[in-house]
Amino acid sequence: MIALPALILLPAAGGLAAWLSDRDRQASSLSWWVAITTILLQALLLLFITCTAGWGHGPWLAHFSVPWIPALGIAARMDMDGLSLVMLWLTTLLSFPCVILSARDVGERPGLFHLLLLATIAGINGVFLATDLFLFFFFWELMLVPMYVLILQWGHEDRRRAAIKFFLFTQGSGLLMLVAILGLVILHQHATGILTFDYFALADTPLMPTAAMVLMLGFFIAFAVKLPVVPLHVWLPDTHTQAPTAGSVLLAGILLKTGGYGLIRFVVLLFPEAAARFAPMALALGVAGILYGAWLSLAQDDIKRLIAYSSVSHLGFVLLGIFSGSPMGMRGAVVQMVAHGLSTGALFVIAGSLQDRLHTRDMRRMGGLWQALPHLSSVGLFFAIASLGLPGMGNFVGEFLTLLATWRVSPPMAILGTAGLVLSAVYSLTMVGRAFVGPPHAGQGATHAPPPADFGPRQMTVLGLTMALLLVLGTYPQPVLDLSLPAPAHAAPQTEVPRP
Amino acid sequence: MTALLPGLPPSLPILGGGIALLLLCIAWRRSEARAILIALATLLLAFASLWWPLLPWPGDPTGMLFVPDGWFTYIAALILLSSAATMIMAWRETGTSSDEFYLLLLLGTLGALVMAGSADMVIFFLGLETLSLSLLGLIAWHRTHPTADEAAIKYLILAGLSSAILLFGLALSYAESGSLRFAAPSLDGQEGPALPLAATALVLTGLFFKLSAVPFHTWLPDVMEGAPTPVASFIAVTSKIALFAALARYFAGADLLRPDAAGTELAIVAVLSMFGGNLLALGQSNLKRLLAGSSIAHVGYLLLALLSPGPFGLASAAVYLAAYAAATSGAFAALGGASVPADIAGWRGMFRRRPALALAMAIMLISLAGIPPAIGFFAKTYIVIAGVSARRIVLLVALVASSIIGLYYYLNVVRAMMEPLPEEHRAARGTPANAGLIAILAIVTVLAGLFPETLVRQTHSLLQPTPIMRQASLRPAAPHDILYRE
Repeated sequence: MIALPALILLPAAGGLAAWLSDRDRQASSLSWWVAITTILLQALLLLFITCTAGWGHGPWLAHFSVPWIPALGIAARMDMDGLSLVMLWLTTLLSFPCVILSARDVGERPGLFHLLLLATIAGINGVFLATDLFLFFFFWELMLVPMYVLILQWGHEDRRRAAIKFFLFTQGSGLLMLVAILGLVILHQHATGILTFDYFALADTPLMPTAAMVLMLGFFIAFAVKLPVVPLHVWLPDTHTQAPTAGSVLLAGILLKTGGYGLIRFVVLLFPEAAARFAPMALALGVAGILYGAWLSLAQDDIKRLIAYSSVSHLGFVLLGIFSGSPMGMRGAVVQMVAHGLSTGALFVIAGSLQDRLHTRDMRRMGGLWQALPHLSSVGLFFAIASLGLPGMGNFVGEFLTLLATWRVSPPMAILGTAGLVLSAVYSLTMVGRAFVGPPHAGQGATHAPPPADFGPRQMTVLGLTMALLLVLGTYPQPVLDLSLPAPAHAAPQTEVPRP
Repeated sequence: MTALLPGLPPSLPILGGGIALLLLCIAWRRSEARAILIALATLLLAFASLWWPLLPWPGDPTGMLFVPDGWFTYIAALILLSSAATMIMAWRETGTSSDEFYLLLLLGTLGALVMAGSADMVIFFLGLETLSLSLLGLIAWHRTHPTADEAAIKYLILAGLSSAILLFGLALSYAESGSLRFAAPSLDGQEGPALPLAATALVLTGLFFKLSAVPFHTWLPDVMEGAPTPVASFIAVTSKIALFAALARYFAGADLLRPDAAGTELAIVAVLSMFGGNLLALGQSNLKRLLAGSSIAHVGYLLLALLSPGPFGLASAAVYLAAYAAATSGAFAALGGASVPADIAGWRGMFRRRPALALAMAIMLISLAGIPPAIGFFAKTYIVIAGVSARRIVLLVALVASSIIGLYYYLNVVRAMMEPLPEEHRAARGTPANAGLIAILAIVTVLAGLFPETLVRQTHSLLQPTPIMRQASLRPAAPHDILYRE
């Protein structure tokens, strides 16, 4: 289906158009309109893909393949299954708040800003679609560069260190994955005599247990850095804190999900036996992440840092679900990723707005904002509650399913994971208490003579839609659950899927 | 003539003729425009003649002084192109432009070609010395600068020393085998391995000096800093390509997977060069010195490709050489064209002052760092393919670890270029002198990265330099790795 590469080329082309439209640096809103049009078109394109996909013809919904470097068995091959579709929709939906609400902190050179934003989105779309391992790695690396520049140019006070830390961690682990990919390719060549980077061919490689374990770990570390899994998370709090609002939303909402997606597609499905043997370790790491992230969240004064550590905690559930070894856990992990993308993305929007208005992220200097900013505060309360896993929201479904699946494998892990939920209630409500309710901060009235502006209709519409999505996900998660079971790597779509 | 110099590729006499013509012209009347025209035309003619051999290449290097095989053709094309890029860089570069500059560049190119194509020790040494001597003149071109004198003296002494070591190694090799073939002596001789080992070690030491591999690299940053920018590019690109090609030719018949002394020495030098070069570049504030460190590290990556024989080894090295040549030439062209001091502070805010130039520089650095979509990404991946397929685990670990160090300093330059600028500098804009060259190299770097198929097919067919063998000593590698299933 030719529409799959279009999903990557469209944001890239739109980004270039936005950049070119802003060369004179006068019409600053023009690039914004180009960017909005681009993501609207992207949404329409995705809708078209969803409608014309080969439903009912097996787990893979769409397929595209042209030779790229045939001498090395590399093709530009993309396939879409339900999991990819869910992730693509999450990306598309979250790009709206990124573009719409970022107008405030773009400042100088909006054209470049939108180019980088859309280039990152193009790379992410590519990651969710590629089924040629070289192509996948190409997109995996490609999405980092614009993100790096985004943080570097539009980040906050300590952005240099944060940006380089982000880049070194992700790129370094990416090189490990590259070695693992090539190891797999060469082993496949030795076994069959065919040099190929095709995902489906490589999934059939006969592997010794040791080799499978080593290769699996190469992939796991790269994705674990991205997710992040606890000992490898150190880049995340700095990066999230220093990134501009749109960057934080993109990072927390989508970029981290490429880690979860990779774990499902390229660790569990590509090395099922090795992943099963590694599962106890992964479960332990997941629980460690849940508890550690939650514990550190409790101690934060910086509101963005708090949300960043809470991400570490919430994504621990994703790791639990993926490695619980059951379809239920896998589904729970996907729902958790979608819900976390929506709720944490929204929380970063709110934190960014607070920083815009109060010029601080320090919760010790906030308090009593409800009187001054009723809309912002109530939205903040909603997403804080969603993020702590109140039933009725998407996060609850995800956490419940992953914990249930974990219980079947290891009750102690499930109990410890549940303890993390209690902590998450504590830090979420503490955040609400310190920032929005409680006594107003002493110096606040004096330093801000005019009261800061509340959320306008634009912000309320975007965030209201996000709330609605979270509620739908929480009350009727069945469509996402149906879609989110990944297609097995062995059921390769041989030809173009016939259209209905 | 062909009887006297068997296998002589026609590009060599063409270059010689061009040099003679240029000399005559200079004697007649000086004109810089005519000099560069003659020089470029000579390079172009030599380039065209690569696909138009005087005699059909019989495929057997026995009794030949030159080996004009596929490897030579590819390397010669790279040498000629990069040398043309150097000339365009030198054109209008203030203070360097003079007739003899092009004469010396042509002479150096001739030396590089001879080195890349030689099948005989004497021919190889002649080529090497031709290159070294013309480089000496080029390095000292800014006679009035104290750094130029320092660089030239440093180069003179170390080049002389390494030539002596190399010559001694060649002599030992001749003593051992009684042959002047340019190939690593076999270690299975009757006299025991001591003599061939000593010969190989000495030859390698000499080559490593010229190639500036760690621990023989200390001269390179000083020399590159003191030399004019085009000359620095010539040292980093043209001369290194020729030397690497000769090194590959020297080991073409040897089995580098055997855990013997030569392979071990190469592997140690590769690891040291990767880390040494990157760590050296890490601490630099001068961009020329930074690029010197980076070029040392890239020699390390290339040695990994050389040490990974098999279907990908030298093919990946060939792709990497092309990627390295394009990106490094481009970086030096941007440095020369910017007319700001070559330290990182001088490049601060370049994205505001000259966005196009900064973008081109960023593309070159991204390519050198191995980040998509530039060709450097694919080239590095290709080398890793070769390394994995030859099971060079330790070298691969070194490559990954040192590449991360590399990322830091390349991105540091990009970061500096993106920083906002103090107001008073805003006005300084303009097009760099060699904008066309920079643009072409930037476009090539990106396009080749997106569509590397052509390059891969080119290099796939040439695969290996034809080994200049005394006796066949090819043995299959033992499948001993735990990663492999029986």
